[in-house]
Amino acid sequence: MNTVFKIYRFDPESGRNPRYQYFEIDVTKGQTVLDALIEIKAHKDGSLVFRRSCRSGICGSCAMQINGLNKLACETQVEDLKSKTVTIDPLPGFKPIKDLAVDMEPFYDKLRAVLPYLINPDSPPTDKERIQSPEEFKMIELATSCILCGGCTSSCPSFWADKAYLGPAALVKAYRYVFDTRDRGYSDRSGVVNNKHGLWRCHTIMNCNDACPKHIFPTEGISLLKRKVVEEKY
Amino acid sequence: MHYKWKTGMWAFVMHRVTGLALTVYLIMHINVVSSLHDPGSFNKTMAFLGQPLFRVLELGLLAAVIYHGLNGVRVFLIDFCNRTKNHAAIFWILAATGSVIFIVGAYPLLHHAGIF
Ligand code: FES
Repeated sequence: MNTVFKIYRFDPESGRNPRYQYFEIDVTKGQTVLDALIEIKAHKDGSLVFRRSCRSGICGSCAMQINGLNKLACETQVEDLKSKTVTIDPLPGFKPIKDLAVDMEPFYDKLRAVLPYLINPDSPPTDKERIQSPEEFKMIELATSCILCGGCTSSCPSFWADKAYLGPAALVKAYRYVFDTRDRGYSDRSGVVNNKHGLWRCHTIMNCNDACPKHIFPTEGISLLKRKVVEEKY
Repeated sequence: MHYKWKTGMWAFVMHRVTGLALTVYLIMHINVVSSLHDPGSFNKTMAFLGQPLFRVLELGLLAAVIYHGLNGVRVFLIDFCNRTKNHAAIFWILAATGSVIFIVGAYPLLHHAGIF
């Protein structure tokens, strides 16, 4: 099936404004958007820039805006989009570096801010792991599957309006540790999430839930964190 | 910046717009009511507010109050009852509920104005 790919092109060194470039390719059954981009780069225009690594939904490098919604290019089959023209843009809300590659550094800064590691001053029992029951793990299981693609944070209007907002990905990471029964770091994290650039910027607009390729539902984690913060206080 | 508008985005934007509109209305309402000191000015103002334009605005007010109130219930369900996954279904159920309330509320308004 012949499909037109309308792709955002931007090269800061050329001094030209961003523009769309059109490529037509014959898409085969099961071909993903990432496959199509690789084909375009290999056969039509070698200067096209995009990120990818695992091409199987693990590394989180290939998140981009496909037909107006954030998705992983490697997990999106062209056929499923049911459109003759597929529009591809870089993740919104981040600074474009070149073509579909954006500057993810602010995203990683937010992640570091919520202290994304186990905090527990007590040493673990000798020769044993810190025990957690399957029920206790269930509480954070989904949140642990985040691949840091940035699709959720980039889809969030609150983040577009306030670049200091932690965003759904960092808040999900905070949730993942705060609700981990082995963690004792709540007091270190509460100040980071409980402020006007934290939890309370979430206005339940829900774009992040649709954007997440791992179906984590960040809003649910954020709501639970909001309640935890209120409960701890009163 | 462009992004496809989905249910959650519409719900949020409409909540903001109706919230602002209701605030403006409330200020005007209090202002007008506080200026009615004697039967003369009362009758004059009421006659003025009886014009068809204000009937239409009244319907808008009714719609805004219903929307803002019911979406408030939706946000409550999302934040306090873990209903994130059902947010769109809740939106449509409340939209149907709101429409019924609107019809029930609009009828006496229009009837009083002599339209029905
Ligand atoms: S290439 Fe790794 S997630 Fe798509």
